[in-house]
Amino acid sequence: MRKKKIIVVMASIFSLAVSMTACSGKDEKKSSGEKVVLRILENDTAKEEGYLDELISAFNEKYKDQGIEAVDANMDEYSDLAANGPYGYGPDVLYQANDKLMTYAEDKHILAINPEDYECYGTTAKEAWSAFDISIDGKTYTCGIPVNVQEPMLFYREDLIPENWESEWDKDSNQVPDFFENWNDLYKLSKQLRDSDSSANKDEKFGFMSSFNNLYLNANFFLSYGAYIFGKDDAGIYDSSDIGFAKGDAANGIEALIQFASVMDEGCIDDTIITNRYDKLGNGSYFCSVSTPDTYSLFIAKLALHYEEDGLSETEANEKARENLKMIELPALMPADGDLSKDSSTMKDSDWVKTVVMGGVNGYGISSYTEHRDEAKLFVDFATSYEMINKRTQILGIAPTRSDVAKENGGTADTIFASLESGRIMLMPSIKAVDQIWKPVQTLMGDFAKEPFRSDAEKKYAKKDDINTALEKASKDIYDAIYTLSDK
Amino acid sequence: MVLINNVKTIMNSSFKAKISLAVMGLGQILYGQIIKGLLYLSSLVAVFLYMAFKGVTDIKGFITLGTVEADPWLGEAGDDSVMMMLRGILCFVILIIFILIYISNINDMAEIVVRDKKGLPLRGFKEAVRVFCDKKFHKIALAPPIIGVVIFNVLPIVFMILIAFTNYGGNIVPPKLVDWIGFGNFKKILVLGELKSTFFKILSWNIIWAALATAVNYFGGLALALLLNKKCVRGRVFWRAFPILAYALPGFITLLAFKFMFSYGGPVNYYIKLFGGSAVGFLDIDAGIKAKIIGLAINAWISIPSSMLLATGILSNMNEDLYEAASIDGATKWKQFIKITLPFVVFSTTPVIITSFVGNFNNFGIFYFLRGGLYNDGYFLASDTDLLINWLYNMSIDNNYYGIGAAISLIIFVITSILSLSIYVRSAAFKKEDTFR
Repeated sequence: MRKKKIIVVMASIFSLAVSMTACSGKDEKKSSGEKVVLRILENDTAKEEGYLDELISAFNEKYKDQGIEAVDANMDEYSDLAANGPYGYGPDVLYQANDKLMTYAEDKHILAINPEDYECYGTTAKEAWSAFDISIDGKTYTCGIPVNVQEPMLFYREDLIPENWESEWDKDSNQVPDFFENWNDLYKLSKQLRDSDSSANKDEKFGFMSSFNNLYLNANFFLSYGAYIFGKDDAGIYDSSDIGFAKGDAANGIEALIQFASVMDEGCIDDTIITNRYDKLGNGSYFCSVSTPDTYSLFIAKLALHYEEDGLSETEANEKARENLKMIELPALMPADGDLSKDSSTMKDSDWVKTVVMGGVNGYGISSYTEHRDEAKLFVDFATSYEMINKRTQILGIAPTRSDVAKENGGTADTIFASLESGRIMLMPSIKAVDQIWKPVQTLMGDFAKEPFRSDAEKKYAKKDDINTALEKASKDIYDAIYTLSDK
Repeated sequence: MVLINNVKTIMNSSFKAKISLAVMGLGQILYGQIIKGLLYLSSLVAVFLYMAFKGVTDIKGFITLGTVEADPWLGEAGDDSVMMMLRGILCFVILIIFILIYISNINDMAEIVVRDKKGLPLRGFKEAVRVFCDKKFHKIALAPPIIGVVIFNVLPIVFMILIAFTNYGGNIVPPKLVDWIGFGNFKKILVLGELKSTFFKILSWNIIWAALATAVNYFGGLALALLLNKKCVRGRVFWRAFPILAYALPGFITLLAFKFMFSYGGPVNYYIKLFGGSAVGFLDIDAGIKAKIIGLAINAWISIPSSMLLATGILSNMNEDLYEAASIDGATKWKQFIKITLPFVVFSTTPVIITSFVGNFNNFGIFYFLRGGLYNDGYFLASDTDLLINWLYNMSIDNNYYGIGAAISLIIFVITSILSLSIYVRSAAFKKEDTFR
């Protein structure tokens, strides 16, 4: 980032020196026969898996006659449009997560669009479109075209499910283990596994594992309990002065988090579990862990490696890994009072709250600095068509925001789509101020996760009031980070 | 002084000479020095044209930093504050160059007048160039490096200094317009509640850190060098290789390795748990002094090898007779070290100590890699091990507050330059440059 800025500054000093001597301005005229070249910035996975190539060649084939050609922008996935765009070095069309895209929109670096101009308008979930809404001078604009939705998922090894699960772990006999349906049973299973661990260092049997200092993966401990990131005003526009980490019954959620940390190990305080999860799930130390869908192939690779060590051939190992490793949504129910140790069979409906996770919508934006706005629109319309999104779903395993593709593909794609519509996924706020939440909240979450590992004398959060105070302080810190230095 | 005398000389002479004060180069032409005169005249014309078409707007832009905000949606190109500032700086540079040319014009004219009065023949253009190259060779030789330094060092520094006096950053990023706010950023850091307490907490830790780290590295290296210099140590070459290995490894790799070692899942905690202890958070949020000590130790691991090499080199120049004489006089080993070895080594390495102090003061890597991503209670966007340079990074890169970041870096510059200059001026290396050889 910094280097790039210096380069831009240096380059501008030189170009200045040149432009001083000659006063001529830019006068490029497009002759009618000339080709229009669109630079497309996609994410790295789409490039690696070959989806981008397919997209580009299909588009170029269709628009050959009109002289439009799309090319890979060949830039860093997160290259800064705000720094490069105004000087003509940015992409024409870019694919990014909603928070990133809308940060650009706030300064008008990407164009406002009219959703109805796009073929995907009717079939795309309303919630997905709303992730790209922005209010400028009191008017609401839409600045992106949704493609897919993301949420943290539960990855587990099927062979590690207790053999007696149908008799012991399926009280409602719905053929889904209870520990995938509610957090109390997941806690109970994790605790059982921990207690049965007889290894010397007590580090070989774990249930659910997660690095609790990660807000995105563990936001359900806040959001399910009525807390939120930024509030919205009546028009549905985010208000960065309304910071909601201490709102609702957030303290109950934090109590659940602290309780769950006690059946993990100290790795949940920092990034240790995030680093280890592929390996440990592969060797069977972890029963399940939380991660984003794009890490699926990493889990598979580690598990296959494990099978290869056991003597399977590469293809066999891969196949077995794919059969054994499953990805589902996080359990749907959390205890309303935050007490995970309660027996789920004794709990009434009102004793539960629905799990709400943090998610994001990825989509396309059109750079304001493109010289070919109409052609860029054609490209985005093409890239969000049924065929291309369907192909994307199949190649990249994404969860589309188009209802028709979701239905067609079924499985996870359909489940996640349904979650988006039902409000189970709370989208990351699409405003710049969101940058300021991560470090303060993650520091605090690590501090909460450490609680079970403190001696009684050192305990910081024995009382609910202590948790509330800490949450309120974190909210104030975020407020300060946003407002102390800005001149607004 | 020379310049004033030259102006006087010209004023006391004919109109032909005086005209060159107003119209650069005209005097030379009237005296028949056509080529030189035309060169002066054309540079005058060039600067006038530049000022008329661009310069005046650039300076105006430098003062206002833009008045029209761009609207990329409508394709309206507005003012780019940062570019305007750069253009303004460039304009000032051009004006300074022009002034230098003007001064040379006066000097040249005065010389012509003097030679004319004495009846000496005026130098032709070729002759003048030859004399200039001959007598002012230092100027010609130094010109390219000076121009290079100005473009690549001075301009960016001036730019950075100027940023410290603007509100650039936060919500104010292009296309929004930046404004001059005078000492506003410094006020925020040194006077405003939250920032002020963080600043002074970090500053005091930073000074302690720099002093401790420099001392540990320096004396650690010296001790190691002395140890490996001892005749009684066997396999000295072999042992010397180990610090070199630590030195050869890229610093951040070492840091990441140590971070892993001290993490909850790392080997240190593994063995603590294996022997029945409970895991220790060496680098987590409560770590405090533990993290500071680990940082100091790891910094020593990285830096001691280079100071050991340096000390080894200097020790090889040591005059062995001094020790012999000292031991005949009955000086103990410790006395010999304090009175002979230490003064000798410190004398020749004072500049190194100062650079290493400044280096440690601005040691960004250690705590960024070991303990990045934490904000502590009572600190504004920083942790209790962060140095000013880490805070500066948090502010300007993570949180986009460029103006504040530039102001902090100016403060760092002032502190380090005052400290290092005052240490250097008081040091033996500076005072007795010629005596201790």
